[in-house]
Amino acid sequence: MNGLEYLIVVIIVMALSTYFTRLIPFLLFSPGRESSLINYVAKSTPPMIMMILVIYMLRDMNYYSFELVYTSIALAVTIGFQVYKRNALLSIVTGTAVYMFFVQI
Amino acid sequence: MVRSAIKISLPIMFGFVPLGIAFGLLFQNLGYPWYFASLMGIIVYAGAAQFMAIGFLSAGLGVVEIAMSTFFLNSRHMFYGLSFLESFGNWNFRKLYLIFGMTDETYALLTTIQVPEGFLKERYFLYITLFSQIYWVLGCTIGAVLADLMTFNTDGMEFAATALFVVLLIEQWIMVRKLLPFIVGLISSIIALLLFINHMLLIAIMISIALIVFLRLIKGSSS
Repeated sequence: MNGLEYLIVVIIVMALSTYFTRLIPFLLFSPGRESSLINYVAKSTPPMIMMILVIYMLRDMNYYSFELVYTSIALAVTIGFQVYKRNALLSIVTGTAVYMFFVQI
Repeated sequence: MVRSAIKISLPIMFGFVPLGIAFGLLFQNLGYPWYFASLMGIIVYAGAAQFMAIGFLSAGLGVVEIAMSTFFLNSRHMFYGLSFLESFGNWNFRKLYLIFGMTDETYALLTTIQVPEGFLKERYFLYITLFSQIYWVLGCTIGAVLADLMTFNTDGMEFAATALFVVLLIEQWIMVRKLLPFIVGLISSIIALLLFINHMLLIAIMISIALIVFLRLIKGSSS
């Protein structure tokens, strides 16, 4: 185990580093003055990033195993509930419960 | 407004509490007092970076290396801010906190939800961001404190984050109804997966933004 001083310095450095990444766009662009290109990019990023995040979460899946089957089932349950009920919590809880059931049996 | 913010942020709770617990449990292996896990949740507040830090701390890595790695791991957040330039309001402590609290999950939620009629957007965002961080800190703390008392089998609970992003993807589709950004996201992910599997997330985001800018410029010059 390393000393407490080291831990505290690491925590502070990580906090500053993380905050800096989140702060940069706000320092570079002032609201209301951004070009139409920046506006367009800002409007397109949420759907693009959501797509990327979903694929990112599924990237480690083993495609030649039972994992593909139960992940697909859990995804189908999540999507099904979301499309028909539009209740985010219900979709997430049900999908996750199905996934956990298959992982733990 | 507080109740509405709690209700709408509950999906984040389902992701953050178990993930935070997992972090707290692992962090306790380092042998530091439990409250440092809470402290990290409070002042660093970055899921992936905190997990990475456990490895760094046990290896005793240098501070400069840790700063650089944290920066690169979180650099995708640079693109997230673009969506909030206007909606985070004027420069004040609230805005500084909203920027601080911009994680994958809160970004995904805040860009998808509709602010209910009569609610001040910045304040509604503030509550959602604050509750999300509370869930995270709570998870980190529970995990660290109960390191050896945990009996509940949380295997597979990480799917909650996947499910959250899937749900928000569907909601984005219902809101946006334009195929192009989704296709750009898909293509960028595939390219990033094939070429740079280790840094897939950041690289996919960079490719997608380069692509969308490129497509916009082509369209602009032809019309």
